[in-house]
Amino acid sequence: MKKTANTHIPRRIVLGAALTAAGLALSGCGGGASPASAGDVELNFVFWGDANRAKVTEEALRIFEQKNPGIKVKTEYQDSGPYADKLATRFAGGNPPDVLAMANRSLLEYAQRGALADLKKLPELKLDAVPETVLSRGTVDGKLYGLATGVTTIGMVVNKTITDEAGVTIPDDKTWSWDDYAKFANEVTQKTGGKVYGAGYDVATETGPILLARQRGEDFYTKDNKLGVSEETIRDWFQYSVDLRKTGGYPPAGFFEQIGGSPAQSYLAKGTVASQIIPINNFKGYNDAVEGDVVLLRIPGETSAERRGYSADPTMLWSIAAKSKHPKEAAKLVDFLTNDSEGAAHTLTQRGVPINPSVAESITAKLSTDDKAFVDLMAAIQEDDLPPAYVYPKGASLVADTLKQLATEVEFGRISPADAAKTFLEKSNAAINK
Amino acid sequence: MSVLTKQPKVLPTGPMMNQPGRGARKVSRRKRQRSGYLFLLPWFIGMLFTVIPFFASLYLAFTDYNLFNEPTWVGLANFQAMFEDPRLWQSLKVTFIYTFVSVPISLAAALAVALVLNRGIRGLPIYRSVYYLPSLLGGSVAIVMLWRYIFGNDGIVNSFLGLFGIQGPSWVTDPQFSLTTLIVLNVWTFGSPMVIFLAGLRQVPAMYYEAASIDGASKWRQFRNITIPLISPIIFFNLIMQLIGSFQTFTQGYVMSGGTGGPADSTLFYNLYLYQKGFTEFEMGYASAMAWVLLMIIAIFTAINFIASKFWVFYDN
Repeated sequence: MKKTANTHIPRRIVLGAALTAAGLALSGCGGGASPASAGDVELNFVFWGDANRAKVTEEALRIFEQKNPGIKVKTEYQDSGPYADKLATRFAGGNPPDVLAMANRSLLEYAQRGALADLKKLPELKLDAVPETVLSRGTVDGKLYGLATGVTTIGMVVNKTITDEAGVTIPDDKTWSWDDYAKFANEVTQKTGGKVYGAGYDVATETGPILLARQRGEDFYTKDNKLGVSEETIRDWFQYSVDLRKTGGYPPAGFFEQIGGSPAQSYLAKGTVASQIIPINNFKGYNDAVEGDVVLLRIPGETSAERRGYSADPTMLWSIAAKSKHPKEAAKLVDFLTNDSEGAAHTLTQRGVPINPSVAESITAKLSTDDKAFVDLMAAIQEDDLPPAYVYPKGASLVADTLKQLATEVEFGRISPADAAKTFLEKSNAAINK
Repeated sequence: MSVLTKQPKVLPTGPMMNQPGRGARKVSRRKRQRSGYLFLLPWFIGMLFTVIPFFASLYLAFTDYNLFNEPTWVGLANFQAMFEDPRLWQSLKVTFIYTFVSVPISLAAALAVALVLNRGIRGLPIYRSVYYLPSLLGGSVAIVMLWRYIFGNDGIVNSFLGLFGIQGPSWVTDPQFSLTTLIVLNVWTFGSPMVIFLAGLRQVPAMYYEAASIDGASKWRQFRNITIPLISPIIFFNLIMQLIGSFQTFTQGYVMSGGTGGPADSTLFYNLYLYQKGFTEFEMGYASAMAWVLLMIIAIFTAINFIASKFWVFYDN
């Protein structure tokens, strides 16, 4: 009874299948083809954001096309995560977009590999009206690789409907310290019976510790493109959330499942947290998404610390690919995005306060209450004497990843804040300018 | 015996074509061969697009290549660097745990369900489709997203546990459980090995079981001494394919963690890390070297299996 003819798959067939399956992994994925256009110059313009941002951008671009006959602009947009991945792939495939939105943390990754054009060399882009402090945030070795799309900073948003119902007073944000914020957060959790957590900021995003470091007289990233933050500051940043979690003001480990989504997906919108740190150009988006009244506040610790932590930062940067076939037209587009009031009338403060003061001035009347609150806070912050801020070094995105990873380890108690801070410095220093 | 060898049933895979017995008419055989190659044609065309990247990656493995500038030859430096890269070891750990836990479980589940379905229940095609469906969807982004919700803090799983007064953990965000969640997802997609098992089981001649029952063999004995040996080539095939597939896991880890391999690198699959190296850290030379090391790892495990198969896989010729 040993023979059976029917149930076997011979070894060599299994081997063949195995080789095929394994080999496919090595070939990776293919590239795309760029469409050719006849007569007109077609610019490929990519950015990250949501449908609303895309809509107002398209409106502005139609004006650009009217003003510049012979230039067509084709846009693509995604969420920031997939955008970063796709951008890298396109540059890698030798098919970069002409004009693109660049994140602060990625700028030098691209620039120092020769992938971006020096914007100062393109006379179509007029930079006379742009303040030097803004230019410096995209400049390395005298070359301008990225021009701010606008300026913004981070702020604290609080759902006032929740705090009012709970009977908690929001402290004066002009003078509140980090201790005041902790007390406030604990009180909210307590008075809502644990239904709402007082604090819901993201520990793992680098803008938080960057600001904390500045308050303490340190530069997270220094003038000579190095890591300048101290181990103590990182430790305290982690420790603060650990303590706040213990006292109830901050949600338990594992609570945040998705961070960095749109305002509608935020925990503030879900009503499970009462406050959050956001880039304040998104304030309107949050107030629209949240049921209830959201107020925009300064980050704690601005007056109780050594110096101001705030800086007016590029929301994102416009860059032009070094390999763009149409650098002149691309420069015209960036010039339009920067200096044209008619275009700005559509995009408003979508990507921060316009960097050209007269453009910023021209849109003031058109702003909604929430956008006006953002612009006003931005202006008020800049009235103070703010210490200078610098370009993020090459390797900054790895630093951001490291922070995220260690924040999770701390969250679940797998590592102490002190050890996490030590590891953070080691890994970050190794990653920067590698 | 001769009755057995003449049963011309064919498995869903192609090899039975070569069986003697049926292809008596030569013309039809040649015709069949031709149509066989015709069916292979799309694969050959696709092959052209993989051959070049295949060899390019072999070259790049020995270079420092940041995607923007020309690659520079660095010899074995990438491979040396891999030894000192803690995240690489972490990714190997994740991949090995995932593979060696989920493959045996999903194969066992596949075989168990195939055995039940093989009993000739009514509506077999429906059941077969229902169980097969997950394996079509399991690697898809939508299902992984769905999984996030099912295993989310307020998801079905924790609601169910809540009925018994158990406070479920954060299946997705807690580094202790995140990989488990993905293993469960993989086990759930046992459909494709199940279908192959089912086809194999249907080939086992009923007369063996009849003879065995007359001799008084229990169901378990029949399973062990008839079913297992007769379908051992199928088990072997499924084992190899599942192993290779799970060594190359990418989508699940990528979608579940938003591309980071988090929380805390607990779902950093080898291929996900390879992708990060290549496309977010711009170290394509290193990533290529990683790809070839993975090929070697898979080759070694496949070879071990082939050697071991001599002791448990049962062929008649």
